[in-house]
Amino acid sequence: MFAPLKRLYRNTIFRLSMIAAAQFALLSLFMLGYIYYATVISELNRVDKEVRVELEDFKKIHKVLGPNGVHEQVIQSMLPVRESLYAYSYQGLPTGNLERLPAFKDDGRAKSVAKFFGQNNSNARTFIYSPFSDGKLGAPPGVHRARGQYIKLSEEEFLFVARDVERLMVKSERITRALIIAMIIAIAMGLLSGLFVAGRFARRVGRLNKLATDVRSGDLQRRAPRDESGDELDVLAEHLNDMLDHIGRLMQAMRYAGDSIAHDLRSPLTRLKTRLESAAMEAKDDGVRETLHSSSDDASELLRTFESVLHIARLETGDRRELLLPLNPNVVIEDIAELYEPSCEDAGLEFALEIEGKHMIRADRGLLSQAVSNLVENAIKYTPRGGAITLRLRKIRSGRVEISVTDTGPGIPPDERQRVKERFVRLEKSRTLPGSGLGLSLVDAIADLHRAKFELSDGPGGPESELPGLRAALVFPRMKKT
Amino acid sequence: MRILVVEDDEIAAEYVRKGLMEAGHVVDLAGDGELGLEMAKSADYDALVLDRMLPKRDGLSLLTELRDDGDATPVLILSALGEVDQKVEGLRAGGDDYLAKPYSFAELLARVEAMGRRSDPTAAVTKLKAGDLEMDLLARTVKRADQKILLQPREFRLLECLMRHAGKVVTRTMLLEKVWDYHFDPQTNVIDVHISRLRAKIDKEFETPMLHTVRGAGYRLQV
Repeated sequence: MFAPLKRLYRNTIFRLSMIAAAQFALLSLFMLGYIYYATVISELNRVDKEVRVELEDFKKIHKVLGPNGVHEQVIQSMLPVRESLYAYSYQGLPTGNLERLPAFKDDGRAKSVAKFFGQNNSNARTFIYSPFSDGKLGAPPGVHRARGQYIKLSEEEFLFVARDVERLMVKSERITRALIIAMIIAIAMGLLSGLFVAGRFARRVGRLNKLATDVRSGDLQRRAPRDESGDELDVLAEHLNDMLDHIGRLMQAMRYAGDSIAHDLRSPLTRLKTRLESAAMEAKDDGVRETLHSSSDDASELLRTFESVLHIARLETGDRRELLLPLNPNVVIEDIAELYEPSCEDAGLEFALEIEGKHMIRADRGLLSQAVSNLVENAIKYTPRGGAITLRLRKIRSGRVEISVTDTGPGIPPDERQRVKERFVRLEKSRTLPGSGLGLSLVDAIADLHRAKFELSDGPGGPESELPGLRAALVFPRMKKT
Repeated sequence: MRILVVEDDEIAAEYVRKGLMEAGHVVDLAGDGELGLEMAKSADYDALVLDRMLPKRDGLSLLTELRDDGDATPVLILSALGEVDQKVEGLRAGGDDYLAKPYSFAELLARVEAMGRRSDPTAAVTKLKAGDLEMDLLARTVKRADQKILLQPREFRLLECLMRHAGKVVTRTMLLEKVWDYHFDPQTNVIDVHISRLRAKIDKEFETPMLHTVRGAGYRLQV
């Protein structure tokens, strides 16, 4: 649940659509506020104004005609407009259609109206009342909202005028609710389409990334799929394909040059070696013979290095990947162990073989043997006498098969671990030992061909020694069921 | 042995010829594929050394033609293309052994001589004998001067390989190929270590050592 969310968050388009949705939500909020103001608040203001004007009229009537005039006017105004509500109290006797107002009902005294509304009579208040349900006014039953103001006409006269605003309120509430729902739908749809577009975008970018990975691991034949739409991604795919065509041509030229050099150089070098050998065979003088033999050995060394470079280059093209077959690594590992155990013993090293379970990986027996043999030889070369080497085959937690060689030698500092996999890179400490600096590069190339991970880390550290040791592991991908 | 070398590199061919002759063989040279095929068909050779890349007709085509003709002469293919798949291709075309350039002459000599012997009908042999050393391939036992020697399975195969080529040089690469089925060269003296273990078992308690190291070449079981 958490991981896909995190992945989604990393998607540019999804992030952009999230921002767009948030902006839309904010905008809708403003709009909602404005519409609420335009409908509800301004309507209420209009009602308040109307009531204020009516109260002014009542004041004038009171001045001219006294309480009876007011009484008369209340009776008259009450009837034609249903929304108009009145409460007039003269010497404690109420008139009007607001008798059921709880304040009036309690003690029937006008004073309670003032209590209900507070002392400030200029403020309009919204209140709740129950309209008459006798059908005379035709008002719907139940509790209605109304808005009204009151004035004190004299010490004993209170007048309260109000308007039923229930219909207005219901209408505006309906509008508000519709707006909120519309907004939620719009945001949800924005998110959904964001998800969809983000997913599509992620898939297209994913395809390009997959292409890059495949090409990096040697599959130069792959090309980016194009939809010919001419959009940015399509153009990017086109550029990538052009670039790959170009790289392909360069690689071919290089490989051709490499093969030619291999052929052209190997023949004269072979002749040189043969000449040295036959001269050594004919030499009468022991010293001369030894010199010729050593020269021949040097030539062999030269050729071997050259051979390794070509071998690595060939592996890196990934041409041989289709030759990988399902294989049981147990036997391969046992054979390597059997081959090197005596060497370890001679070097004063304790050798242990640990094989857990039976496994299957897709591999080339020869190349796998060579990689593991290189790792074991490295371990033997660098581990001081009295140390230990462990060759281990097991299934790690992710279900992948791991072959590791652990030693108690000097190890490789973390910042050098990537570098030692490059060709001809040798660490300062090992310069005095024989070797071409190609061993780990070859292992790396073989691992790459097998789509296996080649990991270098600290070993367990030897007994009574400060050396960290080295753990070199090949982690093979799980075999796809076919 | 009478050997035909088909190789377009004249200098290399000359050295091979000289070396093989010094080792006591009769050698003919052919500089291109057509000539090579003609010579191989017209005379009865004990072994053929065949370069893969030849003018006029390439080595594999020559070999296929020869095999289609019913000629079973052992053939060692030489090539600058050292990859294992190339090797498989060569062996599938009817080659008996494959040697990638650069090779050492000692390697070539050892392989040619091993091949020549292979053509002898010795495949059904169940007992090997070299001097006072006896090996029973069925019972998996080894005796020297009637004294039983206990060997590990791999040591047994190592000795078997040496005994099959008794008196001839067997190179480290050949041992790796035939005993371990590895087609790469380890950087260390791993074979020497195994040989010295074997030597300790078959030579140590006897007066005359049989297993000799040949400088610059490999090992030889001296009869």
